[in-house]
This record gives sequence, structure tokens and C-alpha cells, in this order.
Amino acid sequence: MLNFKITRRAFLQASAATTAAAAASPKLLRAMETELGGKDFNPVGYSERKAIPITCHVCNIQDGALAYVENGRIVKLEGNPEHVSTRGRLCAKGNSGMWYSYDPDRILYPLKRVGARGEGKWKRITWDEALTEIAQKLDAALKQDPNSIMLKYGRNRSGGVVDRFMNTLGSATVMNHTSVCESSKKVGMEPTWGPDIETPDFANAKYILNFGSNIMEAAYFHNPYSQRLADGMADNKAKLVTFDVRLSNTAGRSDEWIPVFPGTDGAVALALGHVILRDDLQDSDFIETWTNVTVAELKEHYQQFTPEWAEKLSGVPAATIERIAREFATTKPATTYTYRGPAKHLYGSYNEKATMMLPIMTGNIEVRGGYCMPRGMGWPQPQPEPPKPAKPSWIADHPDYPLAHHKVSHLTPFWIAEGKQKINVYFSYQDNAVYTNPGSDAVWGKLYRDEKLIPFYVCMTPFMGEEATLADIILPDCPYLERWEPESMPNSLWPWLGIRQPVIKSLGESRENRIMMRDIIHKLDPDGKRGMKKYWDFKDGEDYMRHHFDNVPGLKEAGGLNFLKKHGVWPIYGKLDPATGKIVDKTGREIQPEYGLHKKELSAADMTGAVVEKNGAIMKNGKAVGVQRKGKNYAGFPTHDRIINVRVDEWAEYGFNPMPTFKQIPWHRTMRDDEMILTTYKINVHKQSRTSAVKWLAEIMHSNPVWLNTETGKKLGIKTGDLVRVESAVGYLVTKAYVFEGIHPKVAAISTAFGHWAYGRLAQLKLKTEKGGAWGAQDDPDLNNVWWEDKGVHPNQIIPVVADPIGGSQGWYDTVVKVTKAGPNDKYGDVKASWEKHVEAFKETMRYAYTGDLHRKMHPEMASWGGPGSVKHKEGGGH
Amino acid sequence: MGDFNIFHHMPWSSTYSIYFFVIGISSALFFFSMLSWFRQEFEPLRKSAFYVSFALMVVGGLLLIVDLSQPLRFLNMLNPSYLNFTSPLAWGGMNLLSFGAVSAAYYWMMRKNDETDSRRLAVLGSILALGLPVYTGFDLTVHQNRPVWNTPLMPILFVAMSLLSGAAVASFLAGTHEKLLAMLRRFMLWSAGAVGVMLVSLLGTTAYGGVGQELTFMFMTTGTLGTIFIGVGMLLGTAAPIALLLAPFGKQQQGMMIAAVLILVGGMALRYSILVGGQIVQTYF
Amino acid sequence: MSELRTSSIETRGKPGLKRYAMVIDLRRCIGCDACMTACKAEFDVPLGVFRTWVPYKVVGVYPTVRKHFMPRLCNHCDDPPCVRSCPVGATYKVEDGGFVLQHYDRCIGCKACMASCPYNARFMLPKSRTYTDITHVVDKCTFCHHRVTQGLAPACVVTCIGRARIFGDINDPSSEVSKLVSTLPTQVLRPEEGTKPHVFYIGVDRNLSEPSRAIYNPLDVLEEDRRAFNKNHKG
Ligand SMILES: Nc1nc2c(c(=O)[nH]1)N[C@H]1C(S)=C(S)[C@@H](COP(=O)(O)OP(=O)(O)OC[C@H]3O[C@@H](n4cnc5c(=O)[nH]c(N)nc54)[C@H](O)[C@@H]3O)O[C@H]1N2
Ligand SMILES: Nc1nc2c(c(=O)[nH]1)N[C@H]1C(S)=C(S)[C@@H](COP(=O)(O)OP(=O)(O)OC[C@H]3O[C@@H](n4cnc5c(=O)[nH]c(N)nc54)[C@H](O)[C@@H]3O)O[C@H]1N2
Ligand code: SF4
Ligand code: SF4
Ligand code: SF4
Ligand code: SF4
Ligand code: SF4
Ligand SMILES: [Mo]
Repeated sequence: MLNFKITRRAFLQASAATTAAAAASPKLLRAMETELGGKDFNPVGYSERKAIPITCHVCNIQDGALAYVENGRIVKLEGNPEHVSTRGRLCAKGNSGMWYSYDPDRILYPLKRVGARGEGKWKRITWDEALTEIAQKLDAALKQDPNSIMLKYGRNRSGGVVDRFMNTLGSATVMNHTSVCESSKKVGMEPTWGPDIETPDFANAKYILNFGSNIMEAAYFHNPYSQRLADGMADNKAKLVTFDVRLSNTAGRSDEWIPVFPGTDGAVALALGHVILRDDLQDSDFIETWTNVTVAELKEHYQQFTPEWAEKLSGVPAATIERIAREFATTKPATTYTYRGPAKHLYGSYNEKATMMLPIMTGNIEVRGGYCMPRGMGWPQPQPEPPKPAKPSWIADHPDYPLAHHKVSHLTPFWIAEGKQKINVYFSYQDNAVYTNPGSDAVWGKLYRDEKLIPFYVCMTPFMGEEATLADIILPDCPYLERWEPESMPNSLWPWLGIRQPVIKSLGESRENRIMMRDIIHKLDPDGKRGMKKYWDFKDGEDYMRHHFDNVPGLKEAGGLNFLKKHGVWPIYGKLDPATGKIVDKTGREIQPEYGLHKKELSAADMTGAVVEKNGAIMKNGKAVGVQRKGKNYAGFPTHDRIINVRVDEWAEYGFNPMPTFKQIPWHRTMRDDEMILTTYKINVHKQSRTSAVKWLAEIMHSNPVWLNTETGKKLGIKTGDLVRVESAVGYLVTKAYVFEGIHPKVAAISTAFGHWAYGRLAQLKLKTEKGGAWGAQDDPDLNNVWWEDKGVHPNQIIPVVADPIGGSQGWYDTVVKVTKAGPNDKYGDVKASWEKHVEAFKETMRYAYTGDLHRKMHPEMASWGGPGSVKHKEGGGH
Repeated sequence: MGDFNIFHHMPWSSTYSIYFFVIGISSALFFFSMLSWFRQEFEPLRKSAFYVSFALMVVGGLLLIVDLSQPLRFLNMLNPSYLNFTSPLAWGGMNLLSFGAVSAAYYWMMRKNDETDSRRLAVLGSILALGLPVYTGFDLTVHQNRPVWNTPLMPILFVAMSLLSGAAVASFLAGTHEKLLAMLRRFMLWSAGAVGVMLVSLLGTTAYGGVGQELTFMFMTTGTLGTIFIGVGMLLGTAAPIALLLAPFGKQQQGMMIAAVLILVGGMALRYSILVGGQIVQTYF
Repeated sequence: MSELRTSSIETRGKPGLKRYAMVIDLRRCIGCDACMTACKAEFDVPLGVFRTWVPYKVVGVYPTVRKHFMPRLCNHCDDPPCVRSCPVGATYKVEDGGFVLQHYDRCIGCKACMASCPYNARFMLPKSRTYTDITHVVDKCTFCHHRVTQGLAPACVVTCIGRARIFGDINDPSSEVSKLVSTLPTQVLRPEEGTKPHVFYIGVDRNLSEPSRAIYNPLDVLEEDRRAFNKNHKG
């Protein structure tokens, strides 16, 4: 998950809601335009529907929304028009969110496995039985080692409840899913400027370089950013240039799509930088003032990265690089944006770093239309809070990946199998690693089925996902429309706080996360003697929210939680103008965000007791709180020395190149002629594993043929519709081909979100053979109308693990495959992969870790590094 | 994953073409029954043709109603406050109904042996009967967006097809009456000729239309639909019977019977392919 | 001389009457399909049928390839053939606003309106729906009559992420739709049909919006889905 703690802490002040400046003057003559939302009516009876503000959580972008209720049923979802980032709109998934609640295959009471793991036989049990059994197992585990209790979450928007739960139990064995998500992007950025993401000001930009982000379909933050991108491109005539290995919708709607060879964005970005610096197009003042390198140093360092060098690696013509570099450097304001494309490779952190150098060297940082820092808001936690666990957990702290501050969760199964951490009780929360991780069933399915490695597995979920089928006990959590949760996301340049509140009473016996976890603790510590119960002293979800929101300065005066219950979001910056679709202030002018956060001057109060060091760092209580430049005391950037670290010294300690650099993926260099790179991606109407049970989305897209370039198809004798076999080092799958012009000839692309072997009847197309409502939910007669017969094929089993030795991220887009026409015995949907081969891949990728034997070989430029022995072990998990 | 991700059905299914077929025959047979009052050689057909016509009219009406998604609301067509006079279907409904009523009265008068009234009703019924292929043709013609359908030829084509199939059925009812058979043979020849000429010109204009028409032409002349339309409808069902009827063998009863069978198969094929052909391209739009 | 005779049902430019229209700015459409699901939710639209849909085409030759989206819905034609062809007046035009709507309780399901609509905007509702009991009659986009008449933009317009859909009264010269239609080149679909559509497109390429040779040689991947649709979905 995204973790914006740094941002939140550092820029809480920046959220002063009312600093909206004014721009364009309001139009005078206005027509009676229809309002853009805020109300809804029944189409048959024309009666008004009841609106309840919430925050969308169909995917993880957290858009402000309204839920409309009629006869006790959630019938309609809509963007919250008072929400400054969402501006009243939801994406295709957000509009379909009620089907999480009304999924006929939803689990509405606790289930206990009968028969073997994964056999699919369940017994309905009471909450009390479930809690009693879990408490017994926890009790036994606590006696052995609290760290033997593990919790792995994927999407965790609980606002601190999951951490509270694990801290209460005293276990540090908490894993997330960030390493299969975008972690190398975060690690590429954080040491450089602090935040783990940028907020591009698309609406006001004139030039946008997009490296491997599919903003118009996915990315952080699809909905709010697509809105701004459309504004920027249509109203502001911004040029959008997209680097991608395939024609995503974003690439297809860009002014230019530039196909790159997978994993080489870093080289292209460095070459762009080379041209900018060579031609003296950089913003020298910005570099000298705000970074830890000089222009001369940069010029010198970038000399090696010529466009010709990058062309050889990436296939992007040197002339194109020259042109784009000049366009980017001379069109102001300009911004870059990246998401998983550059980051999800063996050395993804280097790629990310190389791309972010472009807005830095051109001084497009924190300017209108440029590359801005994220703006988020925080909230206090209910008191008292449990202390942090006493002992670190091996797998959560991974000594081989000291820089991977977002953990390396996808290597967990191998580490558990190696005995690095004994597990007694395993919880999963919103995490379907069996489907979403590399290796999928061959790796995680194997782990979960092994009762020696995972003796007791509790899955907290409303759905019978691939992971849930392997659980011992399933606790029915509530989908997002039935939960209380605090929210904030830096999905626009205006910080905000929001909530999720139950729109309807939770269905069946389902319980929301904080209640469920409280109930477990209360069962474990009924009389408070263990000292756990006191951290879980709240009446209900709403009561918990009062602790979060009733004392936030500003919000408190506005009414605290009551304000949020009514509006869903705070602050409210303005009103949605029906004529422009933008948020405007009282005078009709578009509200403007605040720019230049790093130039915010420290107050006298901030400066009392501070000392200014030689390099300008303003130190207070041993920490840099700002930076002095040209006689002024600025807040600077939230890094250890408050400036941008183009040179990341911490990387050099581990033998990594501290300067912007690029490493070609070694096995791409040695690829044979008949081999290709397999890539995987997200599409506009689906959300990883969660939406294939959502009928409207499944209807729009229900299959995922492998994309191949026309030229490749010709070479292989493969046409659209042909059955093909896609084979990697760890396995193969059989799927259909889609042969067209929109993909790099050396790339085969298979999207995620399809090919389920669990997740209910719709996802598996078992509507005819199985009955709905098996676990207490109501059936949907509309499912009689399902007409499609193809559910797609999931690629993850044949994708081996790769870990970025810096950021720890999975190299999703590095897999070498061979694509051939399917054989006579191949059936559509066949997937075969082996644990042993995945283990080999795991061992291979560990060789690139700073402790591995290939590390030095990959970094000849770091010859003077003292080796792994020279590094003092530090506590991991800094962020 | 392809060009378009949403599919559309053809609004009018093949049931509709069976209706066209049946109602066309019904109408022609009524016409022959009417002729019996004026042309002596048609006398053998007076009753038999009428009975078959009546039965087919009932079948056709039922087909039409059953094909509605709300069959019981067929009555809405009779509700004067609902009736929409710009709709050929509304006219057709009334036409069919009044044809039914006149047929019933005709039957009754024939039972009563009331020659004058039977005669009058026969003429009135024939005008209404003529209306049936005319309106079914209009039913298609009015859709200006549909290739093949949208031609003023369509009502005339349907009248010719109606006569053609009707004469073929009548030839089975004619027994061994030579004069009658000769007349029917002439009917078949002339109407088949007319159908053939119209189809050729229909294909011509379709082939030279815009992209939608041109594609429709391609659909109707190749593949499965091409086989049905050109192969069965035009060659086997129109050209072959003409050739057969012109040949000496075609003047014999046996030959005529074979020609009649071909004509009926062809008539069904033509109606089906015209109905479907006009709808294919748009399902992709 | 008497006045020229125009169709009595046309409401464009009639004083005192509203004439709603939609402008779809294809420069802004990102193909997110939000409109499709928003509309499904608004009306409990069953599977297999759509009041609005967003077909796309991939054009060009590698590496110069683009993706074009073209959102579709009922055009609320000012001269709607569907209204003319309905035998029982179950589909009708609302004078003030120009909406083309359905009387669901009148419709007999003859599908004449479907045959006459050049845009595939109409469909037969299947037997099963989630919670609405109007079934087995013809339905289509209503321009969100229930919302618009109560001061709200249509559901698909409200949610449109690209703000590609703009809605308003084209009889009001100061409305945004009027301004767009009068200042920018716009196209309607199949103008040769003479239906006077009131969904205007900015930036449509008629080569892409027309049926083309691709129809005759449809993509195999899509063909399989089409077969499944024709087999399993009763229209
Ligand atoms: N619709 C939808 N939206 C989502 C999500 C979802 O599941 N569905 N999930 C959310 C989450 S969790 C995340 S992390 C974000 C991810 O959002 P994105 O990162 O924008 O999306 P991805 O599909 O993961 O990958 C982005 C693109 O990288 C391309 N790519 C692959 N290799 C390379 C390469 O070497 N170079 C370049 N330049 N491009 C390459 C792929 O073709 C793909 O188009 O989306 C979020 N939003
Ligand atoms: N091939 C391929 N694989 C990918 C990606 C890709 O682009 N291609 N993307 C990767 C990325 S970026 C990410 S972030 C990961 C995401 O990986 P995950 O976090 O594992 O996936 P999700 O699909 O977000 O949801 C996980 C589980 O949450 C459960 N769930 C859903 N709603 C609720 C709820 O309300 N409460 C509870 N308790 N559980 C719920 C569901 O059962 C679901 O199985 O996937 C990665 N995997
Ligand atoms: S992008 Fe879509 S699904 Fe994700 S939070 Fe926003 S509206 Fe919801
Ligand atoms: S688009 Fe079709 S359904 Fe809509 S008004 Fe025009 S003809 Fe009628
Ligand atoms: S299907 Fe219904 S709305 Fe359409 S023409 Fe027939 S009666 Fe009228
Ligand atoms: S106007 Fe209303 S009914 Fe028509 S497509 Fe949009 S949301 Fe659907
Ligand atoms: S919601 Fe708007 S941008 Fe998205 S597909 Fe529909 S019309 Fe296009
Ligand atoms: Mo992610």
C-alpha cells in the first residue's frame, strides 16, 4: 500500500485549507446548466434517493463518493461533488462498488474448514466459536514467540487498526504487498527528496513525460489525474508523451507513444538528461540551491549517458531522445510522471531515480504545472497505544535488503520454507497473494497448503478468494460500503481528510476490521490481565472515528466527525461549477493550490532553539527541520538534510551507485532471438483480484489474450485467436493470441484480473453448475443474463520472483518467455509451474542482493566499496 | 479485445421471415379463390385455396403475436388512442385483422351459398390480401437506414413473391385440372420472372451503395448467407424453376410439381436472406 | 405562400421550449468506461444490454498507433424514426426537452423501433433484472429524463472522468453545449439518415465511425465472444 507518513508529518501545516489563490475571472453570462451531481432520483418513480458520503475503495485511490440508498439497498454510487480531488466523478469500478456488498457469493458468517486444506468443504460456525479457537492458537503462539504470529495485508486502509492489532500481540511479523506493487518507485524517490510519490500538476502543465504509468486506466491516481490530464491536454494544450512497452489507453491517447524495450526507461531518462545538460538547458539555480550536487558535477556525471548509448539499449532513436529532451527542457512548466513501468524491474530503483532527475534538473519542482510533492493529512490515534514489538522479525526486516524500506514480501514463502521465521498463526487481511503474487498458486498456494509451515491460517475477507479457499478459518469482514475508516490520499494538490462510513448495516454476520480485531483481543484478554484489552476500549466503529477526528485542529471547529459524516471530506475548498466541472470559490473562480512547499519559511517559533549548520541545515533536537538559503529559513524537502539528494550516500554504503545510473538486466542482454519479455498490466475496468466478481466490470472485460505485435505474429505464424503456449523458466500457460500493432515486437503482454480458480461463481464462470448464496448472501437474478464463456488465463504462476536489490520490488516485467503455437494436447487455460523452479529463481535473484555474489559484478564503478562486511547492520524499516 | 466490445442482436429474427412466407402464400391463395368467381378454370381452387389461405393466415397471425415480447399486449394495437398511423406495422395489423374478418365472413357466405355476397367479399378480401405483401414490404422499406430493405421495390417484390409462392402451393391443390395448371404455370413464370428482375436490380443498387450497402452486398453474396440467397433463393428457387417451366417437362404436372417445390424452398430462402441481410452490418455498428 | 413544412415533432429552435443535447468531445474521452457502469447503476440495466457504450478502434502502424474511443448512446433525434415506426405510440418524443422516451406499459415488443433506429440505441430488456420489474419490453437511454427534469445532468455526464460528455439546453444560446456546437466543428453520426441526432461529436473521424471492411473480417478473438453472445443472450 502507499505509505505517506513522511508527507503527512512534514506537511500537515501545508494543509491550511484556505490558502486558495484566485486566477481566471468568472464568466458573466451563465446558462441554466444542469447540476453535476449531489442528488439522485429513482428513474421509475422519480423520487429522491438518500445520499451518504463515503470514500471509494474499489481500488486504492480513495476517491470521495456518495452512496445512494433506496429501500435499504445501495443502488447508485457517484463522485462526491464537494471533494476537491474527485470533483464528483468515479471511474467504471467506483460506479460498480455496490457489487462488493451484494456479491451473491459473499461470505456472511464465519466458516471453519472441514476436510483437507483447500478441499472446499466448510462448516458454518458462530463468531464465538471462531474467536475462541483463534484465541487459543494465539495464546499458544504467544507462549512460544510473539513473532510467530504473522499478519500479511494487501490493501490496508484501516487507519492504524492492523498495526495496533499486531503491536498489541507484540509481533513484528507484519508483511504488506508493497513489493509486488510499486516499492522500488518509492525507494527510488524517498532518499532523494523525501516523499514516496510525486503529484504532477497535469492541469497546468504544458509538457508531460509519462514513463510507464497508465494514468487513464490505472496508476495512482487514475480518476483524479485523468481528469486533470484531460483538462491539461484539451484546455491547456499540454503535450503528453508516453513511454510504454505496449499501447495502454494512456499511450493510445497520448500525443506520442514511444515504445521502449522493457526495463530501459532509466537509460532513456539519463540520455534525456545528457542532452539537457550538454546543451545547457538545465535550471542551474535550482540545482545549486536545492540539491546536494553542483551543475558541474552533474554535467560531468551525465556525459557517459549519450543518446546513442540509450538507443542501443532501449530502441528509442537517438534523434527522438534529442528532440524530446529539448522540448521537455524548453517548454515550461513541464513534469514527468511514472508508475510501475520503470520501477518493476531488477534495478527499478535506479530507473525511477533517473526519471525524477528530469524535473529536478529543469527546476520544475513545486511549481504550477510542474512536479510537486504530495499533500496529505494525518489524524491522531486513540489513546493509549500499544508499544512497538520488542523484537524485530527476520522476514519483516530482511537483512539482505536493508534499503528496501517497504519490505520484500514476495520472497516471504521462500524464507518461511527456509525456516527463517517460524510461523504458528497466520492472518491475511485483504491480501490474495495466491493470485496476485509472482508464482501465485505454485508458490503461495504451496505455502498455504503446507500445514507444517503454516499450522493455522485465518483469512479475514468477505470473499472466497484464492487465498481464502486455503484458510482454516474465514472471518467475514465487511466490504468498504459497510465500514468506518479514516482516509487521506495525496490524489490532488489539495490535502484532505475523509471518511468511509457504513452506508447500510453490515450484511449477515459480517464485522468490520476494527470490531473483528477488537473481538479477537477481547477473547484473548477477557479481563484485561494481559494488558491488551486497554488498547481496544471503544464501543463501535463510530466511537473509534471520534478519537481520530474530533480533535483535529480546524476540523474540530467545523464539527469533527459529525462534519465528515455529513460531507464525507474536509476541508471543502469550494463548489463544483456545473459549467466548467471544476471546483470554484465563492466568486466563481477556480481554486488554486499552494505551490513551493519547500520554500515555505520557518516561523520564529520554529527557529527558536534551532542551529544552522555550515551546509545550511537548520537543526533542532538532532533533526533537520529546514534549510537556510540566501539568508532565508526554508522548510526545504523532507529528507535528512532538507535538500534534494541527487547523490544518495546511503546507497553507496551498500555498494550501490549513489548517483543516477542505469543497469541493464543481465538476462535481457543474453536473450535469444526467439525469446521475448512477458509483461503484465492493469486495465481500466478491473482491480487485480477483486473485480472479476463484479458483473458490470466482468461484462465489459472478461478475458486477457496475450498481445503480440503483428510482425512477431508473422514471424511465429500466429494470428489473432490462435491458441499459443507462453513458456518461461518456471512454467508455461496456454492462452489465445491477440495480434496487432500496439505492442513492442519483443514484448508479450497479458493483463491481470482474469483466469480465476476461486473468487465465486462469476469469476470462474460456474454460474450454471453452482448455486448462489452458498454463504448466506442473496442471489442476483441478473446473473441469468451472463452470456460470456471466456474467463481468461492468469499469468502469475509462470512469472518468477525477481527482487530489486535496492528497493526490494518484484521485477514483474523482466520475465523472458518463448511464445509458440500451442501443441495438440494444449488446452486453453492450461497453466503449469513448479515450486522447485521458483525456488531456483528465488536463489538466483538473491545473488543480486548486496550480500550476493553478483552485486559487485553489476557495479564495477563501485570497485572501492568494502564489501558486505564493511556495513554495520542497521535497523530496517525506516519509513 | 477487438474493435468493439459490445454486441447487438438483429431486431427481427427468422420467425419474421416465416411470417412473411406464410402470410404471402395466404394472401395469394385468397386471390386465387377470388379469381374462381370470375375465371372458370380457377373454380377447383375456390374452396381448397381459401381453406389453406385461412389456415395460413391464422398461423401467420399467431407467429406474429408469439414473436412479440409481450404477446398479450397485441391488443394494444387495437386501442385507438395508442394507434400510430405513421407506423406500417399499425396499418399491417389492421390490414391483417380486417383480412381475417373478411375471410371469416367470406367463409360464412360461401357456407350460405350466397354467391353475390361471396363474390363481393372475395373482391374486398383480395384487396386486403394484396395489402398484406404490400405492407410487409413497406415494413422493411421504411427503415431508411437498412440496406436492401430501403427500396421502393420492396412492396412490389413482396407482391411478386407472394404470387409466386401462392401459385406454387396452388399447383398442389389444383389436382389434374389442366387448364388451371397451365394458368398457374403462367403465374409462376411471370411472377418468378418479375422476382428475378427485381432481385437483380436490388443487388445492383446494393453493390453500388455506400460502405454499409457494399458490405451488405458482400454478406449476401458470399458465405452462408450467400449460399442461401444466391444459391437457394435466386438460382435454385427462381432461375431453375423458370428454366424448368419453360422446358417441355415443365409443362407436365410432374415437372410443375418439382418447380413448385423449388419455388417454395426458394421463396423461404429469399425472405429469410432479405430479412437477415438488411440487418447484419448494423449489428457491427 | 404558406410556411415550409417541417416535421411537426422537431423542437430544435422552437421558442419557449428546451432542447437538450449532448456534446461528446473525443479529444477528452479517455475510454475509461465510467459512463457505461454509471448508467448501468442508474437504471439497474441488466447484463447483455447497454444504454451507452464506448467502442474503440486501434489505428495506425507500429510505432505510430493511436486508440480512438467513441462513446455511444441514443441520439434523441429531433426527427426520430423510432417514434414514427412504433405501432402503438409506446416510444414518443417529449416536446419540452426533446427526450425520446418509452411507455413501458404500452410496448408490445414488436421491435419495429429497433429496426428503424440507425444507431443500435435500443434493446430488448431480458426477463431477469436485479430489482426493477420492467422487463421484456424495449428500452434505451432516456437522456436521464428523471434527473434532467429535476435539474441534474445525466448520470453518464456527471461521472465522465474526461469531462468528454457535456450536456445542456441547445436552445439556450449561452449554454455550454450551444457554445461548443456553434464554435467548434462537430459531427453527428450517420447524418445521411436525416434523423437530426442531438448527440454531437467533436473530433470524430467518419472513417472510424462508419462500418468498415473490418466488419467483413472481424477479429477472431472478438468473434468468439460474439458467438457466445448470440448463443447465450436472448435479445
Ligand atoms: N483500473 C485499475 N486501476 C488501478 C489498479 C487496478 O488494479 N486497476 N491498481 C492500483 C494499483 S495497486 C497500482 S500499483 C497502480 C498501478 O498503476 P500503473 O503502474 O499505471 O499500471 P500497471 O499496469 O501496473 O503498469 C503500468 C504500465 O507499465 C507498462 N510497462 C511494463 N514494462 C515497462 C517498461 O519497461 N517501461 C515502461 N515505460 N512501461 C512498462 C505496462 O505496459 C503498463 O501499461 O494502479 C492503481 N490503479
Ligand atoms: N499479473 C499481475 N499481478 C499483479 C499486478 C499486475 O499488474 N499484474 N499488480 C500487482 C499490484 S500493483 C498489487 S498492489 C497487488 C495487489 O495484490 P492484493 O493486495 O493481493 O490484491 P487485491 O486484489 O487488491 O485484493 C486482495 C484480497 O482482498 C480481499 N478483499 C477484497 N475486499 C475486501 C474487504 O473489504 N475486506 C477484506 N478483509 N478483504 C477484502 C479479496 O478477497 C482479495 O482477494 O497485485 C499485484 N499483482
Ligand atoms: S479510481 Fe475508481 S475504483 Fe479507484 S477509488 Fe477512484 S473511483 Fe474508486
Ligand atoms: S437514436 Fe435511435 S432510438 Fe434514439 S431517437 Fe434516434 S432513432 Fe430513436
Ligand atoms: S417494440 Fe415497443 S416501443 Fe418498439 S415499436 Fe414495438 S411497441 Fe413500439
Ligand atoms: S443520458 Fe442517462 S440514460 Fe442516457 S446513457 Fe447517459 S446515463 Fe444512460
Ligand atoms: S466516462 Fe467520459 S471519458 Fe470515460 S469513456 Fe465515458 S465518455 Fe469517455
Ligand atoms: Mo499496486
